[in-house]
Amino acid sequence: MSPDELAVTICIVIAVYSAVRIALERNTLKKLPFLNVVSFAVTGVIAIILPHPLTILAAAAYFVGSTLESNAIASTIAGGPEEKDE
Amino acid sequence: MPEDLLRILVAAAVCWANFMAFDLFWKLPLEGGVSGATAIAHEVERKGGALHGGFMMGNIVSSPDASAGTLLAACGVFIAGIPGGLLAAMCVYVGNRICHDPGYAGTTGCIAATFIIYGLCQVGFVATDFIAGMVIAILTIQGVSAVHASRLIERLWKWRS
Repeated sequence: MSPDELAVTICIVIAVYSAVRIALERNTLKKLPFLNVVSFAVTGVIAIILPHPLTILAAAAYFVGSTLESNAIASTIAGGPEEKDE
Repeated sequence: MPEDLLRILVAAAVCWANFMAFDLFWKLPLEGGVSGATAIAHEVERKGGALHGGFMMGNIVSSPDASAGTLLAACGVFIAGIPGGLLAAMCVYVGNRICHDPGYAGTTGCIAATFIIYGLCQVGFVATDFIAGMVIAILTIQGVSAVHASRLIERLWKWRS
């Protein structure tokens, strides 16, 4: 197994483990850290299997989009945005 | 194969130290950056975890921090060397701004990780070690036990402050 294949395998195993934890967790807020781990693993797999300069943008776009969704879900459950003095 | 696994574990330790150092330096455990991060912190505390550790976990979920910067730096260095890592840092900064975050931790963590990873790639590591390593590092914080991870972060936070 080459180093690239080993890294992809580790990412996939961790992604599947975290997906199972998401399925088993009943509290939506507590699902989000596991979803975060899945996003990390999938971003890593995207970069390793598609080594092209545009992949950096694609991986970042996927990761930021996933984070923004988690942010939106958590903030909605929390009752909306906090008003802060800037 | 055993050498490859050993390299990945060492890379995981380097990534863990890098993102934790930058997140603590930029005071992510101090408070939730958005209401969602605060809600996650209170949920972690309600289950027996530590509040400030929960704030940092919530902030990691809610915005690309130094851990995301380290992962994207590894992806950038793997694909295009130092310019790839710096492009990733720009993407992290844009992502931070989209997520209502000043972006200091993510951007500085990504730039530092770019040079650390590039340097270690000159002495026998490969960039994919750091991609898998960062996934393992974030698993230890977000994916195993929220209660124990938050207590560990709280201990490091007290030491920093």
